[in-house]
This record gives sequence, C-alpha cells and structure tokens, in this order.
Amino acid sequence: MSNKQVSLEEAARLVQDGQVISIGGTLCQRVPAAFVRELARQGRRDLELVKSSPGYDIDLLAAARCVRRVRSGIVSLEQPFGMAPNFRRAVEEGRLEVIENACPTVMASLQAASFGVPFQPVAGLEGSDIPAASGFAKLADPFTGKEVYVVPAIQPDWAIIHASEADSRGNARIYGSPVWDRLMSRAAKRCIITAERILPTDHFASQPELTVIPELFVEAVVLAPGGAWPTSSHPDYDVDEAAMWDYLARLRAADGVFGYLEETKGRDRSGVRVAA
Amino acid sequence: MARLIRDGELVFVGVNSPLPLVAATLARRLHAPNSTLLSIGGGFNPTPARLGPATSSAKLSAGSASVFDNVDFYGLVARRGVDLTFLGLGQLDERGRVNSSFIGERHRPEVRFPGGGGAATILPLARRVVLWRAAHSPRIFVKRVPFVTSAGNIDRVVTPLCVFRLDAGRLVLDGLHPGVSREELAENTGFAIANLPEAPVTQPPTQEELTELRRIDPDEVRRVEFSRRD
Repeated sequence: MSNKQVSLEEAARLVQDGQVISIGGTLCQRVPAAFVRELARQGRRDLELVKSSPGYDIDLLAAARCVRRVRSGIVSLEQPFGMAPNFRRAVEEGRLEVIENACPTVMASLQAASFGVPFQPVAGLEGSDIPAASGFAKLADPFTGKEVYVVPAIQPDWAIIHASEADSRGNARIYGSPVWDRLMSRAAKRCIITAERILPTDHFASQPELTVIPELFVEAVVLAPGGAWPTSSHPDYDVDEAAMWDYLARLRAADGVFGYLEETKGRDRSGVRVAA
Repeated sequence: MARLIRDGELVFVGVNSPLPLVAATLARRLHAPNSTLLSIGGGFNPTPARLGPATSSAKLSAGSASVFDNVDFYGLVARRGVDLTFLGLGQLDERGRVNSSFIGERHRPEVRFPGGGGAATILPLARRVVLWRAAHSPRIFVKRVPFVTSAGNIDRVVTPLCVFRLDAGRLVLDGLHPGVSREELAENTGFAIANLPEAPVTQPPTQEELTELRRIDPDEVRRVEFSRRD
C-alpha cells in the first residue's frame, strides 16, 4: 500500500499499551504534540519513552498516567517555563521510573538498534554514577585493551515524528535541525509521521537530499497542521508561550489534564483523512 | 561568563542555557571574535535577529551555513572537538561532582532534577567546562552529592555570589562578586571554602561590556533564569 495517510485517531491506535516509543523533537521544539494528546485521550497505559530530551510530551503523558518508564538525559520545558512539573510530580510520587541516562547514551542505544548490533561503545562517563545505576557495562577494547563503557541496543516499537512536509507514502522533510529524529526513524521498528503539509511525491523527488525520512521506515502518515502546537515547528511557528502557560495552569488542578485533552480534541483532529 | 571564553575556541551552548547564549554572543562581539559558537539549535555562529530564552530553538540558528544536529554534536564531543561548554547543575559538591539527577531514593525521590543532559560525557571530554547556576544556597552547594551525574574538567563555576575554580580536586574561591560579603558566601555554601579570607573580588563589568550587552540582548534574556521556579 503506497498511500499511508490515516487520521490522527487511527494512527494513535497503532500504539499498544506497554509498548516502547520514541517521540521526535526536543523539549518544546517540534514535538508531535497533537499525536501525544491523542495517545492520552485514548487512555494508553504503561508506555516506555526512549528519548534523550523529552519535554512537553513526557509532561503530558505523565499527567495522564500513560507512561511508566522513561530513558532520558534531560527533561525540561526550557525557559521561560523551567522544569516539567507533571513529570517531576509523577517521579516524586513513584508512578514514573526514570532510567538515568546521558543524552548520548540514549543516542548510542538507538544507534546500536539502527546498526543491528547488540551494544554500542560510548566515550566519556568516567566518574559518573549513571553507568552503575542504569546497568551499563565496561568492556576492554579488543584491539587496544583500553576500557570503554557500552550501552545496550534499544529498538523502540515506534518512532513518532512531526515533519514539516510529507507525502502520503511517508517521505518526510524536516526544516531546521532534525535533532534526534533521523536516528529515531532508523532505530525504531516502524515510524508514524505527523506533518504540517502533505505534498505530492514529485516535490520530494525534486530535491531528494532534503528528505530526512524515507518511506521505507514509515507505517502511517497524518496530516496535522499545527500538530506540534504549543511547541514549535520551524519555520512555520514558534513556541506558543501563552498556550504553554495556560497548559501549565490548567494542569495544576487535579485531573486538569482531562479537561485540557477534551478542549484540544477538535483542533487536533482537524486534519483530513484521505481514503487509501 | 563571557570573559571565560578565549578567542579562537569552539564554544558549545546547549539546551536550557540563556546565560551562556548571551555570554558567548557577547564574547564574540568583544574579546573573542574568532571563537566559534555552536548552538544546540543546530548551527554555527548564528546571527538571529533577536536572542530568545529557549536555546534549543531552531530560530536561534538563523544565519548558520550548515545544520549540525544533536547526533553530529555528540560525535564531535566524543572526538574531543569541543573546547569549552557551559553546563548547568542541580547540586555541586566540594570535590566538583555534579548532581543533576535526584535527591533521595531513586524510585521515589524527594527531589527530581531535570537530568544532566549530555554532561556525563561532556565533562570528561570537553577541554574546559564552565558550570553555572542562577542561585546559590547550602542545598545547592553541598559537602557531598548523593548521586554523581557527572564529573570532570571543571574550569570555573559561576553563581550569583561568586566564581569557584577547582584546585587539587577541591573547589576554591576564584572571585567574590562585588557587594557580597565573605560571611554571606560562607552562610550560603554547604562546605568550608579554604581560601575564603584571601580570595580576590571579581572585576565588575566594564562600561564597554555593559553597553554591548544591552545592545545584543534588548529583551533581557539574561534575566530569565533568575525568575525561574526550578
């Protein structure tokens, strides 16, 4: 099937309870936020997030009790918002387990998966308690004898990535830095793309070097204009600071997340479904 | 912080780093025009119309002639291509060990910090690291951290009260900021500072530095960390 375009609800139903996911973007930049909200609306449970730098995504998933474990290097909403409060509360209440990583150790675990090897050496980490706390190992380099830390391969079930443009087959362009997304797309079993715009394949074939994610890896494509809101999608829009402050205020109330998910439903599901 | 940047260095500014962004931009306008600023937003020597508080924004990489993503960056760190990095901290102890992870029991911590980002690999691999935090209290600067997120090549530690440096594996006072008393610093630091009586006072900013600072940062991004709730 070459036309992979589905609705947001259909795409979110691909993700099963208990699966391991990677989510594209970083902190409050180009997060597939509409998809994340739809996962929460559908009541997904016991997810494990593998991402070096989660932000809005983990905060919302933690508030809606969708996630049980995260492997991350840093979790923040960045300035001017600061720390992710719903993430912090979930961890401090013992509802969410953090497998402490450095950003490049998550990266290396995904690289190992993308290369089809069982583990990946990582430079640095000397003096850190992270390797012991998170079960990394130290090996002797068989060629020089020098010791090096290694991390296990982690293959997520899904990488969910918000792109600037995609075609209905799943070829996708990301303007600005792809952050970790190129790697995530190659490491995960399958990808789900949400995109600001769906364009003809000719557009991508005209400059193939701009295609960050080839259709080979993609299971589903969702038209999601504004799909990163309230995070940014460069160059179309920046972080919506007023909407971020509103999000934070709404979620301070007990179960405020559910009202927030209901209110954003119409906006999130506005993308049109094209029949296969 | 700007003065700690040397001309010709490759300086990395990471996520959640408004003060380093302003410092590196300022240094390139003043004493370090040949330094290279590498932004986690994905570019080299960017020339954005305005600075902003979210340093991972792709907007802040406007003007870069290439896109350098996070995977590229951590490769560069691993091959020891980074001269200077600024890194934040949750807690720091007298032996220069950083905790940006948690306080208390791991599965139900009393305090959860954001995490160290790439610090656990950057601190041992960058030639120099400047740590900073926009607050100074005995809960932040402690005798011994409960968890070591990262440790390594600390050059300086900049706080609202002072600058520390690492000397023979111990933090010592490099400079006390003007208007801060030695008693105030001692009260707000959870370990004894060996050279407290004799350490010098930090040189205040020059008129030239202040003028250029206001020119490059009219929106006062440099103040945003002082009002945050972390």
